Amino acid sequence: MTLSLIILYVLTLLYLSIAERFRNHTTILAVQGLLLFGIAIARLHEFHPVEMTVIIIETLVFKAIVIPAILMTVIHRTKINRIHSSSTQFGALVMSIIALIASCTITYYMADERTDMIFFGVALYALLSGLILIVMRKRIFAHLVGFLVIENGVFLFSMAIGVELPMLINLAIMLDILISILILGTFLSRVDNDIHTDESDALTSIKD
Amino acid sequence: MLTYIIVSLLIAIAPLASRSERMTNLIATLFALVQVASVALLFVFDRFDMALLTIFRTDTLAVVFHVLMIAVLIFSLIHSSSYLRAEKVTTRSYNAYYTLLMLLALSITCVYYSYNLAMTWVFLELTTICSAGIIYHREFEQSLEATWKYIFVCSTGIAMAYLGILLLSTVAVEGTLDYAALKSVISEGNPLYLKLAFLLIVIGYSCKMEVFPLYTVGVDANYAAPAPASAFISTALVNAGFVSIMRIYTLYASSEVFAWARNVLILIGILSLAVGAMFLRRTNNYKRFLSYSTVENMGIVAIGMGIGGVALWAAVFHVMCHTFIKSSMFYHVGVMRHVYDSYSINRIGNYMNINRIGAIGIVVGTLLLLAFPPSPLFVTEVMLFSEIASQGRWWLLILMVVLMCVVLYAIWSRSLRLNYHSNQDELHLSEVNRRLSYSASVLLLIAVAVGIWQPDMLKDIIDSIVNLQ
Repeated sequence: MTLSLIILYVLTLLYLSIAERFRNHTTILAVQGLLLFGIAIARLHEFHPVEMTVIIIETLVFKAIVIPAILMTVIHRTKINRIHSSSTQFGALVMSIIALIASCTITYYMADERTDMIFFGVALYALLSGLILIVMRKRIFAHLVGFLVIENGVFLFSMAIGVELPMLINLAIMLDILISILILGTFLSRVDNDIHTDESDALTSIKD
Repeated sequence: MLTYIIVSLLIAIAPLASRSERMTNLIATLFALVQVASVALLFVFDRFDMALLTIFRTDTLAVVFHVLMIAVLIFSLIHSSSYLRAEKVTTRSYNAYYTLLMLLALSITCVYYSYNLAMTWVFLELTTICSAGIIYHREFEQSLEATWKYIFVCSTGIAMAYLGILLLSTVAVEGTLDYAALKSVISEGNPLYLKLAFLLIVIGYSCKMEVFPLYTVGVDANYAAPAPASAFISTALVNAGFVSIMRIYTLYASSEVFAWARNVLILIGILSLAVGAMFLRRTNNYKRFLSYSTVENMGIVAIGMGIGGVALWAAVFHVMCHTFIKSSMFYHVGVMRHVYDSYSINRIGNYMNINRIGAIGIVVGTLLLLAFPPSPLFVTEVMLFSEIASQGRWWLLILMVVLMCVVLYAIWSRSLRLNYHSNQDELHLSEVNRRLSYSASVLLLIAVAVGIWQPDMLKDIIDSIVNLQ
């Protein structure tokens, strides 16, 4: 069960590297939220109501519903549709596959007996995928998606190394991330309104 | 602690309901009084080195930097009022600015007192959110760009730091991320994980401490924010980054990778010093100029931490004194902007004849920044150099001296240009507020006093901070 969910998660990352429309990016993020919920539930050894609630809030509510809803609102408001036309999908796919191979190799050498190798590898791949999105895409909306992919990777990473933080800290971290995304979404809309651009190349007026 | 947080939070958001600037000023005064009272109560009831709410601790490091923050906050609140009035902002905007400044002060205080690895991260991320509103306050195109970059880079950097925290937490017993608990078990950690964790955390927190590699967002933030807020960001927030890294540094002192971690800090320090030296020569904006000076000074601090021993003592003292000097310089530059309505280095000049007290303040501040005696930075840099020499790292000493010569030339030539060169083109000079110049100079006087005489109490305080046991 967990393995199939993890394989699906890898497929979403691969698809994300070639997806052109931002609506698809948002849908993939929602699907990732659902998959993370499934993975977290499958890894629960026994039923804890409190732990279960935290997982539901963090994955189902935040990652699968609230954050995609914020992104959809930004898409509606800014009317941005797709990634830059000059971006090549083939190049992005090749980069993504290289990242996957690199993640597997690094995991093989790094993971110790306390670490779940599959989770570790996929988490690393998610982090690299997020960074690739930020570096290769020109539109700042894609950067926001890249940041969220990194956040999902961090969530997987915490499962890979079996860290169980106290609930209060988990909630504080979740709130922090949610507020950051809300603010990023708001400022993305403002950049679009005031500077009339949604490309990072245009954000270069501050320099020495 | 909970009472302090709730009271401060309520006061901080009170300006949102205020209908006048006068009322907001009163609320801000009350906020400053609560901060002073909170530290005074620690002294009165002798609540030092106590755990509070399981995630906070009133250790020396936290209390000292809280006191420094309060000092800067009081001046920032005073200067902000004049600055915003001169800008003719609306009452709503005035209130929002004060709310954000007080919330930023509160979140920075929580970073100082936080004694839990994950909660330090949470509060640092909170500082990003509060700073964003202040950076955007002037609402011009470049402030929007600076704000976007600041939130995005800080959030991504801090996400990386969180990854490091997760790696570090593999050594934690029952998920306890208390610094003291982690310190007792860190020696059992996987060295590769510990190295990676240190690297990720330091890179993530570098956006707050304004050192290489994520220093750029801090420079942009200081450039876009109102000058009194820049003074606060460039000192109190930078100190929050320093305190966070200092806690990790103390934690790693018990691990087998400590020597490696110190080398990383030396490398970060050299690169920051080099970047500072290079851009101090290139930039054409006084606020960016002061920000690069912060990058340079924090680079020196990182080198001090990397060298260890007496140099670590010097690094802590350097941060404390830098707080007074740099905040004062930002306030002076804020007054200068009232006069010229510009920060442009190439355009403005003749300040000595326009505002003598402000110009003298800038000259004295420059000399203190350049570590001329009786600057306290002279004391710290002599200590640092002597420790480097005693360890036989001559290459580092030579490299630092060369880079600092470039810094000296860049800073001194810009200071002379501002004070004695004529204006390059026609400027619409406005009235000078000399009272603000006098008040900004008070911080310089404190720095000079500490440079001349370091009381035993101060030495004991720093000794207790640098005690890595």
